[in-house]
Amino acid sequence: MSATVPPRGLPKEPSAAHTINEFEHGYEEEQRLRGFRSACGFVTATWGLRCARCGQYDLTEFILSGKGVVSAYTVQNVPSDEFVNDAPYAYVLVDLDEGGRISGWMPSVRAVGDLSIGDRVHWVPSYKPGVQFEKDAPAPGDGGR
Amino acid sequence: MTRQAWVLGAASNRFGKMKETGREAASRVALEAIQMAGLDPNEIGYTFVSNAFGVAERQAHIGPLINTALGIPEVPSHTVESACSSSSAALHDAYVHVAGGFLDAALVVGVEKLSHLDTLNATSYFAMGADYPFESHNGATFPGLYATIADAHVKRYGTETEQLGSVAVKNHLNASLNPHAHFQKPITMDTYLNSPVIASPLRLYDCCPFSDGAAAVVVVAAEKYPNPGMEPLVIRASARAGSIAAMHDRPELTGLPASQRASQVAFKQAKVEPSQIDFMEVHDCFTIAELVALEDMGFFPRGEAGKATAEGLTARDGKLPVNPSGGLKAKGHPISATGASQVVEIFEQFNGMAGGRQVPKSNVALAHNVGATGSSASVHIFSRR
Repeated sequence: MSATVPPRGLPKEPSAAHTINEFEHGYEEEQRLRGFRSACGFVTATWGLRCARCGQYDLTEFILSGKGVVSAYTVQNVPSDEFVNDAPYAYVLVDLDEGGRISGWMPSVRAVGDLSIGDRVHWVPSYKPGVQFEKDAPAPGDGGR
Repeated sequence: MTRQAWVLGAASNRFGKMKETGREAASRVALEAIQMAGLDPNEIGYTFVSNAFGVAERQAHIGPLINTALGIPEVPSHTVESACSSSSAALHDAYVHVAGGFLDAALVVGVEKLSHLDTLNATSYFAMGADYPFESHNGATFPGLYATIADAHVKRYGTETEQLGSVAVKNHLNASLNPHAHFQKPITMDTYLNSPVIASPLRLYDCCPFSDGAAAVVVVAAEKYPNPGMEPLVIRASARAGSIAAMHDRPELTGLPASQRASQVAFKQAKVEPSQIDFMEVHDCFTIAELVALEDMGFFPRGEAGKATAEGLTARDGKLPVNPSGGLKAKGHPISATGASQVVEIFEQFNGMAGGRQVPKSNVALAHNVGATGSSASVHIFSRR
């Protein structure tokens, strides 16, 4: 693991372009899910100035597909105040097709049997808080999953 | 070059619902710990305080309030915040100062009072310890975050519901013997299995309670206090580690890298192996957290801690007693008091003060305390002189 270190005395302008506000504005207003890709290949939506995995300065901003598979999830019956009218719902960790993992929630999942690890999901813009996912429609002939 | 540091006094109140304010409770346990150490309050050189959610009581900066109540207003203090590992971080600071020769005696106090909040508000406060815009704002609560760890652990290792339940049953039994504990009654496996699901697969009895509480520890330089009245805890290791804050950005979900790193550093500092630990207090904010902690620190292979717990290996009279106090799960989890209270339990065990929950052997003990979902972790190792 070797970080690219800027010359002493010359602060390097971090390449991360968007702010946390812009990330939130992106999915709330612009229908864009912003993310970063590091020189080591690590993909994340989480804001930072250097890569959390390898320490590289070179973070490239790009638009995440919002598509992937569920890697873990829980159906929450006791929410925090922002989601008080939506429980039960699923809090999900989604492995994105382009690499990286992102947190989100699924209001349509109200019981454990409504979702499985490995299910394909996609991001859906919503007026509600947070990054919201929905299950992909079943492909023809796959029996509904 | 460091010098030997001891925990010479340690005290806690009864966890649960406090009538008094946090500053009152903190001051009382602090004085009790100082007196137990055989010190006059004027011997304290610095107070390290933890009170992560003090603003919920409309009070910040409580160090000077505690010192004023103790009659030592001129003693400096500062607040140490590291979510649920706040007071173990404060202990680490105290250790660094005492072992490094900057202080001869330091006071560590942790306190939290949140019982005046309802479940919704308390859940919302705790969610602030995670990466708020990237986790909590996407629907995660603390039970939810640990539930995803449990989900991943179950899927990867086949961890069974009854194995999680065996953690709860064990820790409630231990707490029933601890006068400091929030919960004073044992539970059965049926009680556990019939409790409602909070965040699947975690049930109510997988989760620690919202507790008020206060705990304090006095750390001294051994060379300055050669004739202690109590059996001191020799601080053999004081290690802290961090990891990527947002859980979804970590390479794996079935362990906490900060616990792994902190324990590795601690074992190296103390020059002991996991097999030499007689008993331990570990961070069991949820039942899955205890299993993951035991695996992260190398006490059991990955996926084996649940089976070991169900077989009784971690019971109070088992081969490796874990959380004889009842742990966060049943003794309670007043966020900023938890780390210090783990040391109180070890102090009482070393001094034969643990009554019915006294473990068979207490020569070397470990305390493991996690901040949030493992973005911070502390591991301390103690031994007799």
